[in-house]
Amino acid sequence: MLLLIGALTIGLILSLLAFGVFISFRIFEFPDITTEGSITLGGAVAAVLIVAHVSPMLATLAAFGAGALAGTATAVLHTRFRINSLLSGILVMTALYSVNLHVMGKSNLPLLSERTLASMAESAGIRLLGAPAVHIAAWEVGTRDLAALVLSLAVAAIAGLALYLFFRTNIGTAMQAAGDNAQMIRALGVNVDTMIVVGLALSNGLVAVAGAILTQYQGFADVQMGIGMVVWGLASVIIGEALVGGRDLGFLITGAVMGSVLFRLLVAVALRGGLNPNDLKLVTAAFVFVALVVPGFVRRARRRQRI
Amino acid sequence: MLDIRQVYKTFNAATPNEVRALRGVTLSIDDGSFVIVIGTNGSGKSTLLNAVAGGFMVDSGTLAIDGTDVTAWPEHRRASFIGRVFQNPFSGTAPSMTIAENLALAARRGRPRGLGWALRRSALDEFRDRVRRLNMGLEDRLENPIGSLSGGQRQALTLLMASWLKPKLLLLDEHTAALDPKSADQVIRLSEEIVTRDRLTTLMVTHSMSQAAHLGDRLVMMHRGTVLHDFRGAEKRRLRANDLLNRFEDVRRADLLDESAAAMLRRLYV
Repeated sequence: MLLLIGALTIGLILSLLAFGVFISFRIFEFPDITTEGSITLGGAVAAVLIVAHVSPMLATLAAFGAGALAGTATAVLHTRFRINSLLSGILVMTALYSVNLHVMGKSNLPLLSERTLASMAESAGIRLLGAPAVHIAAWEVGTRDLAALVLSLAVAAIAGLALYLFFRTNIGTAMQAAGDNAQMIRALGVNVDTMIVVGLALSNGLVAVAGAILTQYQGFADVQMGIGMVVWGLASVIIGEALVGGRDLGFLITGAVMGSVLFRLLVAVALRGGLNPNDLKLVTAAFVFVALVVPGFVRRARRRQRI
Repeated sequence: MLDIRQVYKTFNAATPNEVRALRGVTLSIDDGSFVIVIGTNGSGKSTLLNAVAGGFMVDSGTLAIDGTDVTAWPEHRRASFIGRVFQNPFSGTAPSMTIAENLALAARRGRPRGLGWALRRSALDEFRDRVRRLNMGLEDRLENPIGSLSGGQRQALTLLMASWLKPKLLLLDEHTAALDPKSADQVIRLSEEIVTRDRLTTLMVTHSMSQAAHLGDRLVMMHRGTVLHDFRGAEKRRLRANDLLNRFEDVRRADLLDESAAAMLRRLYV
């Protein structure tokens, strides 16, 4: 039960990472590696501010701002200086490694007894339920874990809804169109470069918030926490697309949440079943490879059958 | 309305692939006139349209729309004056977005885009109304992605989108060349209808001699990056497709003469 709740919570927190990857990879087809740096940046900024007794809410918002700045940097390298999209992201990600160390002052920053969003949710839960643990279908569940689950569910729901509503606005539809058909939207008076800057800022801001909340949930920020996160987010998005099918944006955003949760559950089950944690990233990469290649294979096989 | 003065453009300058696409084009178009542009392959007619739209910056010369010098303006800024339909039916619409969303994008051409809803109910009614007038049965499919439509339907919608906010200048770049004859005919009739109804100043490039003869009130024939002939008024009205074909034949002969004369001179003197 604890395993399930933990996996659900982390899956929901990382659905913000999936949103970010969805914006860069799916809307703009921009393979944005900055993500790996900005998730750590979000964690680092939030952790440092929380240790300095800034309100956790403000600290999380600051993480969004920092992530948005990182995304802007990548977008400017690409649009202004015409550097290849992948390379722009790699440059900023590499630079962020040093930035993150400077922000934290060391490679690992614990948040032992600080007031975080997670601890605030816990005390709210205890006030509400009146006990440090509750029983759900014969399992004893810590109020702390339950509160964190509810918190992460709320965060994922709010972020998902906000993102959906954003893409229904004039600027949101223009952004979608900039990724879908740049030539067309330019002819309708939209500066595509500006859209890429705003889009990547939004994407990395969301990713940084995922890092900030993850840090508060697990109780520490680590300079290594971003490694492999792009592939992780991409796996979530791909699973989500497979789950919901269709192209409607609302479904895709919901799908990204579902994909993130399901992927985290699969990982938890695999680790429980004896998968060596060291192999996790290898298996994830292999999974994404298969998910990217199989649909094309199936299509070709079907076509051959028809002939 | 549109003032093109001494515009030059060379692609891949100083390389073996150098193309002198525009060599001093000067063309002034009156408000409300419908100008057809024809020319041989590589004559620079599409390049001229692209230069006006801002697809690239010209090497020298000036471009002015409605008295405003737009020579240095980027494409997206010129879009506030210009409506545009491309040769490729897939270029003018965003395929994974719905018909309604595409129309909403066009309804704000050249205007600021903020956090207002893209699809307000009142806007949807107007979309349905104006799409119904295309007589393609698309008014009931506003929620379908545009990528699911045929080339002809997409081109008709692109035309509707380009003219949605009565542009100061409408650019049609061989917009029926990639369509089947029936759709091409439909789109041409629609173009004529919209241009006449809204009295749009229009620049239309075409390969079809019958379109060139039947449409518009002025005809410009381009060759080797310059304006070779310019027919207007009664002269344009008298032109038939055959006359145009004869003109092309003349151009071809003159080109051959150039080459054979050059060959002769080479034999004699080199």
